[in-house]
Amino acid sequence: MMTKWLSADNRAGWLVSLLLALLILFPLLAVIVQAVLPGVFIGSWRLGQFDVLLEVFRRPLWYRSLINSILLSCGTAALGTLLGAGLAVFRSQYVFPTAGWLDAAAWILLITPSFIMAQGWVLFASANGIAATWLHLPFVTSYLFHPAGLVFIMILSKFPLAYLAVRSAIEWKVESLSLAARLAGASRLRTWLAVELPLLSPAIGSGAMLVFMDTIGDFGLPATISAVYRFPTLPYSIYTAIYTSPIRFDMAGALSFYLVLIVFAAIVIQFYFVRRSRYDHMTAMAVRFAATPLSSSKARLAAAGTLAFLSVAIGIPIGSTVLISAVHSVSDGWALSNWTLANYGALLDGRSLFLSSLLRSLNIAVSAALIGALIGILVSYVLVFTSYFYKHVVEMMSLAALAVPGVVLGIGYIFAWNQKWLEPFGLLLYGKSPILVVAGVAGAIPMITRIMTGTMASVPRSMLDAAQLQGISFAGRIVKILLPLCRGALLTAALTAFGTSMFDLATNAILFPPGYITLPVMINKAYEAMDFGQASAATLLGGGIVTAIIVLIGKLVNTMTRRGAKD
Amino acid sequence: MQISFRSLLTMILLLSVTGCGMDAGSGKSDSKLTVYLNDFDDMIGPMFEAATGYGIELVQGNGAEIMSRIQAERGNPHWDVVWIDAVSSVHGLGLDGLLHEGFAPDNAVYLKDEFRKLVPEREWYYPTSAHAAGIIVYNTNLLAGDEVPASWDDFADPRLKGAVGMSDPAIAAPAYPFVSWFYQQYGLERGNQYFERWFDNGLVIYPKNPNVAAALVSGEIKAAALQEMNAYALVDQGAPVAVVWPEEGAPAAVRVAAISKSTTKLEAAEAFVNFLLDPAVQQAIIDTDAESYHVPSANGATPKPDRRSAGKLLMVDPLWSHQHEAQIKQWFADYSLR
Repeated sequence: MMTKWLSADNRAGWLVSLLLALLILFPLLAVIVQAVLPGVFIGSWRLGQFDVLLEVFRRPLWYRSLINSILLSCGTAALGTLLGAGLAVFRSQYVFPTAGWLDAAAWILLITPSFIMAQGWVLFASANGIAATWLHLPFVTSYLFHPAGLVFIMILSKFPLAYLAVRSAIEWKVESLSLAARLAGASRLRTWLAVELPLLSPAIGSGAMLVFMDTIGDFGLPATISAVYRFPTLPYSIYTAIYTSPIRFDMAGALSFYLVLIVFAAIVIQFYFVRRSRYDHMTAMAVRFAATPLSSSKARLAAAGTLAFLSVAIGIPIGSTVLISAVHSVSDGWALSNWTLANYGALLDGRSLFLSSLLRSLNIAVSAALIGALIGILVSYVLVFTSYFYKHVVEMMSLAALAVPGVVLGIGYIFAWNQKWLEPFGLLLYGKSPILVVAGVAGAIPMITRIMTGTMASVPRSMLDAAQLQGISFAGRIVKILLPLCRGALLTAALTAFGTSMFDLATNAILFPPGYITLPVMINKAYEAMDFGQASAATLLGGGIVTAIIVLIGKLVNTMTRRGAKD
Repeated sequence: MQISFRSLLTMILLLSVTGCGMDAGSGKSDSKLTVYLNDFDDMIGPMFEAATGYGIELVQGNGAEIMSRIQAERGNPHWDVVWIDAVSSVHGLGLDGLLHEGFAPDNAVYLKDEFRKLVPEREWYYPTSAHAAGIIVYNTNLLAGDEVPASWDDFADPRLKGAVGMSDPAIAAPAYPFVSWFYQQYGLERGNQYFERWFDNGLVIYPKNPNVAAALVSGEIKAAALQEMNAYALVDQGAPVAVVWPEEGAPAAVRVAAISKSTTKLEAAEAFVNFLLDPAVQQAIIDTDAESYHVPSANGATPKPDRRSAGKLLMVDPLWSHQHEAQIKQWFADYSLR
């Protein structure tokens, strides 16, 4: 019996390793190997110059990029996690008006690509932006276009990762532990600090790592901000190495190597924290977390605070985008004649690429979310419940895709999926639309895995063992026991994957097949053509549709499961 | 419910392979000519199909994206023709042995002399047009009379201190041919010194031409070296800007068409390049596309009416420009960080 259990575990482990290697590891290695074997994919085994690995410390541009990346991601991880986890705990602990808005805001911020948020901030804060000219606050420019200002913008864009991770971990609670502490005379605060907070620490740790890696791999924000303020980061310099003639794949490989090294260090640190204690605290006594209502004055204060926060985090960048989408020209100000819906009308015009590219992106994002969720469940299962030997390798690979900028993964995908020998197997995916799904899955897996792992870690192994003793198969145990317990997290994960795949500009721009323009590519084309009104309108309309779909599915699934519970 | 491990595995594989029902008709078609290009993607496809009957698929991207795709695909190229305004990069593809050689299209007889000179000895590519990679554009609300720059040297003049911008040669495709003309003119060492004077006068570098244009219109900078089509687009939009063609001329970006050595559709590829050299086609592009501010390469085609009074274009030697590309771009990227 034991051997059989182990073998099912191991089979799952090997399957997951293979999938992750195909999706993430090989493409990434294909880029990194360029640093030493620049001609390997065109049949040349000539060694490159190892010197290129040291060049990062010699060339001012690359050295500055390294330092900037580390500063930006450390600052954002520390403060963004504090903000995200703090908000999540407060929101779960208490009932107050607008609490639900925080969830919605986290979603909106999460699926809004950083380049769009950054555009909004640039529009607001640049020397001739809304702050300086419309609101007469000229100091905003120098405050925001400064390393600390960029950390501030980044925090507001990335804190939802920590927020959502902690929120889903609070879904279930073993009240007896807290009650025991209170019976023993501990104050409410002490109970929270000594019992509840430590139980949340894996989720907080996961959230912090997500924020760190998403920040260090972020391309959209530095690229957009660079229009007004020079702040090169590693992903941005990798992009310039790949997108500057003469194309330097070797340099991109070397810079990617450092990026992966930093992420590797981060994962090692995380392992250290998680290993210090066990977290499978959930038992059959677990209850759904119940929030306490606040007194009316405190509730009003909480609501006001939430509104103030949201008006900065979302109001400013999205508001600026809305403004641009609805005026003929920013410089014409509030004049009545300046307001228009023409930008939206043009999107629905028969000649616009908007509708066709939206449908393509929906198709890709739905596929990526479904496949990603399926693989993500398996990965999380292997990470949490098995003693599979290469577990840490699996974790590393599942995280790598988050840390590796889309531009690197995109180029890696060309190398990996454009090999002539794949043709007879029907796997020469480059130049065909499924490659966008595969790239979407690769991009979604780390997020899904993080969210799922945090929740699965609180399910005790004994529940699965008991089911196995009853003769339930491996897949049956996952479907009948694990999934119902992690339902909330799975839904969160799949919807997140759907939202982010919709707007993955970097991989889409590199991999879109001939004649197959997708939504992010269409929006970016409009931006490049300086058609900011059109681009903003497409962003808002596309984003609105995606948000509506997410909210609808979320509501639908919740209603269905509630009805199921009643039956 | 008993779900076996095998059925779970089958489900994943099935979903992965079918891509959850990706729509058919997407992706690369084997029968169509694949063209990588950076402009005119709205019109050239239907025009070519109607004129020749060959099917065509287009991949649009900026110059660097297209070159990056071509380099990444070297092991298994997917493109048949590349048509971009980066002659030195395409020349590099020829030197690397990636281009079809020795093709002499019928319509090459229409080439103007200054364009005929650009066709390399082994006939790797043919120029279809040229435009100014940079002309002087200024904000009319902020500069007037004597303050308006008249020549490139004025960008180092204290009266324009901190008020001039240009795009980054390391990022924007047309910015390299722009700076490379000065380097070819003065040599590498003195070329660096020339641009140091601009930098010392507070030159602001933006990633791409649209960013320069936005900064100029908003008043963040007062004057700029801007690619011709971006400059005229601003004028057409009614932005408060005016164009100055410096007396010495404006460095040119040349758009060329080249055929891949690995193409399996040589006949269609040659038909496409020949098509682009047809004076009637070049005229149709100029007349149809609002942003096609350029000099057509064929005799018999004429530029847009509001461009006809434009000054002279300064052609850069593609080979020289290609050979010094890395060095010049690196200097710019590092120096501008100071």
